[in-house]
Order: sequence, then structure tokens, then C-alpha cells
Amino acid sequence: MLATYGDRSPADIAEGIDSLELAWLVHQLEQHYGGPLDLDDEALARMSTVSGTLEVLQELKVETGSR
Amino acid sequence: MRRKGFRVTDDAQPTPGIDPSWVDEVLLAGPADQVALVFETPVTRADLRRLISAKQSVLAAAGLGRGGSVALCLAPSLAFVTNLLAAWRLGARAALLDHRLTAFEVDNALQRLAPQVVVTAKHVTGGPLRGFVEIEERVATYPGRPADTAHALIQLSSGSTGPSKVIARTAANLVEEVERYVKIGAGVPQGGERIVSLASMVHVLGLVGGLLYGLHAGVQFVVPARMTADGILSTVAADPAPTTLLGVPFHIELLSSVQHPMKLPQLTGMTTGGELVRAEVYGGFVDRYGIRLGNMYGMTEVGVIATDLFGEHRPSLTPAPGLTVREEAGELLVSLPASPYLGLVDPARWADGWLHTKDAGSVDAATGRVRIHGRRDSQVSVGGLKVDLTEVEHTLAALPGVASAVVTFDKAIEAYVMLRDGATSAQVQERLAERLAGFKRPRVLKVVEQLPRTATGKLVRDRAALLAAAADAAPAIPAAISAVIPGQRAGQDVTDGATDPVAPAPVKEGNR
Repeated sequence: MLATYGDRSPADIAEGIDSLELAWLVHQLEQHYGGPLDLDDEALARMSTVSGTLEVLQELKVETGSR
Repeated sequence: MRRKGFRVTDDAQPTPGIDPSWVDEVLLAGPADQVALVFETPVTRADLRRLISAKQSVLAAAGLGRGGSVALCLAPSLAFVTNLLAAWRLGARAALLDHRLTAFEVDNALQRLAPQVVVTAKHVTGGPLRGFVEIEERVATYPGRPADTAHALIQLSSGSTGPSKVIARTAANLVEEVERYVKIGAGVPQGGERIVSLASMVHVLGLVGGLLYGLHAGVQFVVPARMTADGILSTVAADPAPTTLLGVPFHIELLSSVQHPMKLPQLTGMTTGGELVRAEVYGGFVDRYGIRLGNMYGMTEVGVIATDLFGEHRPSLTPAPGLTVREEAGELLVSLPASPYLGLVDPARWADGWLHTKDAGSVDAATGRVRIHGRRDSQVSVGGLKVDLTEVEHTLAALPGVASAVVTFDKAIEAYVMLRDGATSAQVQERLAERLAGFKRPRVLKVVEQLPRTATGKLVRDRAALLAAAADAAPAIPAAISAVIPGQRAGQDVTDGATDPVAPAPVKEGNR
């Protein structure tokens, strides 16, 4: 998803996610899941790295799945 | 909309300060109940005047007065707007320091600018992707001196050699730019309409083209709470008044990627500053939204220089009224009566009423339209922010532990460094983070055994050669020699509300 911004290859994606990439990523995720994601400031702050983002998404999945 | 009888002289010589009446006459005049700004909630002109008066009292109590000097280091916020206008209304000179500069950079800037008062954020409420934040300010005195010129606004640019350039603009110069927007007319939002600004209000496009023009022309200046595609479009949808989006090329790409945007009959156009987007992105956006998509060319030193607000002349632009653009030896020069730089005037930058843009370009003799071909120096655009690679390279090379370094740009800033014995890339990353704001820092730092050089000993800047050198350094485990440095391309114009949103990333150490 990150690589679709700027036509990059996945190998070009760094671990750090900057704010342009974050805006891009959130939008791609929202389109993928078909609606706004419940991401507060704290969750977005954790999405500054690829691994942090994976953690946040995992938690979202668990929360959604447990409903 | 210019008020009759208003006059600001363009005299930047030492005076007892600038006449502050321009703030009320050019920016704040208008119906008390007219909504001027929309951040968290709408702010009417009466509200704004009251808020500014309150800030004036605080700044005055700290000793700021006519002819005084203040530095504002605030993220986009109502506090930024009101403190800036309060400083101007006191007749003081305001220097804007990017809120994401490191403490080291801010310290250097303050020593250089020597303001009497410094306004910083004591407490910030907000996070990544916020268009604006809520700030509780800290107003402190600083052992500086009064303004020694009658400039109203000071901004620092990323320096090509040595320290940053200090760019200074008079009130008259700012008013002239606002008037330029008025004269451009078609494609510029009119009174009663809205600007939804995605461009940073602490930089020239959002500041003058959005905030100051909006205040002058009675155009609501609106900032989305959240700078996601959905947040931007929802902000447009929130009011039926005709709306123009103001942003940078990234925002075109972001909005173009919305598969099924909501119907927005009030959205009349989008204008971006900065480099042109690819033709397919341009076409995709226009198809999707069916609105005008325009481009502007400008500089911090001048503001808007040329426009193509209807995309009629892509990739060419028409010089803005009152400005002359000419080509000299392949470089674009813009008419500017006085040097925009404080301190010594470098004739290679400004001479005899002409500003050297350092942009390669051409001017069509028949139409007068200009075309930009790219930079002639080492400046690159990172999310709409100008970063000079020389500054990055010099800072990196001067760090203890670094023997030499080359910095390049290919979609992102990359650094190739030779380390001194015992040094690690993690140490280099840590030290660099103390000295350079996130958006200036390399996305990727690669350690090499030897930097490639020409036969005469000059450093080679060819990316392929540098990548080969990096691969040679540890051919078996290339990933292990890359230290990922976060923070670059921190889109000022996307997350302006946030402090540097990028947390330190894991560093992978090499086997040096």
C-alpha cells in the first residue's frame, strides 16, 4: 500500500513512515476496509513505523473481530 | 477590496518600527459577524480582533512594542494566527521558525535573529495528520534587540552554503502580494467563498495565498481538522459556499486516489504550489472531480510569481500582474525592487532590482509565459518544503564519526557516509536528529567503505555508483548496513499540526 504512493517498489519502503505516507496509508486502508477507521491521535502516532502500523492494525482487527 | 487611502511605504531602512495600521485596514476590516477563519469552530472577525487584542496585551507585557522583534515557533493553530497578527498590530517584526526545527536549529536561529521575545508551545493538543493543533503558548523574553529594519516578516530558508538565508519582507511587500492575488482575479476565490487550505499557514503559500488573502478579500480560511482524504473532503462538504482547495502536489495525488468521492457541488477548483504533477495524475484528478486544477509558481522571497489557474497552458505559467520574469543564461529572474535578504547582499542572489530564482527556465517571447525546467542548485522539494541538499550534506559531514558524506535525492533524500573508526550509523543518526529537522533528514543512510571519487578526487554523486559502493561495503547482508532514518518528507503541508510525527525507527547495524 505504501509503495503505491510514488510508484515505488516495496523494497524501497523504509521502516519509518512520514506524514505524507501516513496520510496516504490511512486513505488506502480506509478504502480497503470500506470506511473510516477508528484511529485516534495516539494510534496515528504509533503508526510512524511499519512495525508500529502493523501493531495498530492487529489491534483494530482484534477489536473489530470481538464485536 | 483595497481600502481607500491605505498606504504602506516599501522602505526597509531603520525606522521606529512599521506602521501597524495595515493590519486593521488590509486584513481585519470587515463585518464583525463575518466568519474569517474556521479551525475547530468558526471565528468571526469580531472574535479574531478580540483574540488578537488579548495576545497583544501578553506580548506587550513581555516588552514587545513598535519596532520590536519577536520569533514565533508555533505549529499551525489559532494561536499562531493570533500571535502573528498581534505582533504586526504592535508594529513589531515577526520571525517564523518552523515548529519542527530541532532545539539545535532553533537555538542557532535565535542567536542569529536576536529577537526580544520568543513565543513557543508550552502545551500542544493534537497528533499526526492534524491540520491544526491547540496550543498553550509560552511567551518569554530573549536577550535580543529591536528590529533594525522596518520588515514585518522574517523567514529562514534552507541554506545552500553555510547558514540559512534570512528572508525579510515588508508590510508593503506582503500587501502587494495580496493585491496580486486580487488582480489575478479569475481562479482566485472571491469574497463570500471559502479556501480550504491544505498548505501550511506558516509558509508563504498558505500564509499569504490562504490566510492573508482570505482575511483581505472576505474569503473564509478553513483548515481541515484531519488531513486525510476523507477529512479534507468532509471539510469541503461542511459548507455550501463555493470552495477552493489550496495545497501541494501530494494533495492532488491523495485526492485522485479516492475511488468514489462524495458529490461536492461547492468544490469549484484546486490550486497547488510547487512542481507540476504528472499529466496522468492531472488528468485523473480533473476527470474524477470535474473541477479546475491550477498551478502556481512562487518563492518565499516574493510570494506568487506566475500562475496557470485553469491548467490552460500546462506546463507554462503566466507571470502575475505587476511582476516581470525574464531569462538570463537559462535562469529565471524576477523583478524585485529591493533585496529580500537581511545582511550582506549576494549579487548572485539579487542585484539591480532582479532576484535570481535559481530555477532553470525559459520565457516565451511571444506570450511572456514562463516554463520551469528545474532547480539549478541543490535545492529539492520535500512535501512542498524546500530543502537544500548541501545543508544536509554539510551537517552530516561535520558530525563526529563521519569521515565524508554524499547526499542525493531520488524520490527521497538519501545519504551515503564513510564512518570513522568506532563510529556507528546509529550514533550518526542520533546526532543528525539533534541538528536537522525531520523533513530535512535522509530517509535512508547507507554506510560505505569508500565513497566513489573521480580521477581528480571529486566525490561522485551518481546514484548508481553510490549504490554499488554501498553494496560493496557488505555484499552478503546489504540490509544490515542500511540505517533507516525517519522523518524525511514530513509533509509540512499535510500534518502541519503535528510535531514531527515520525518516531525513531529501529536501526540495523552493520558489521563494521
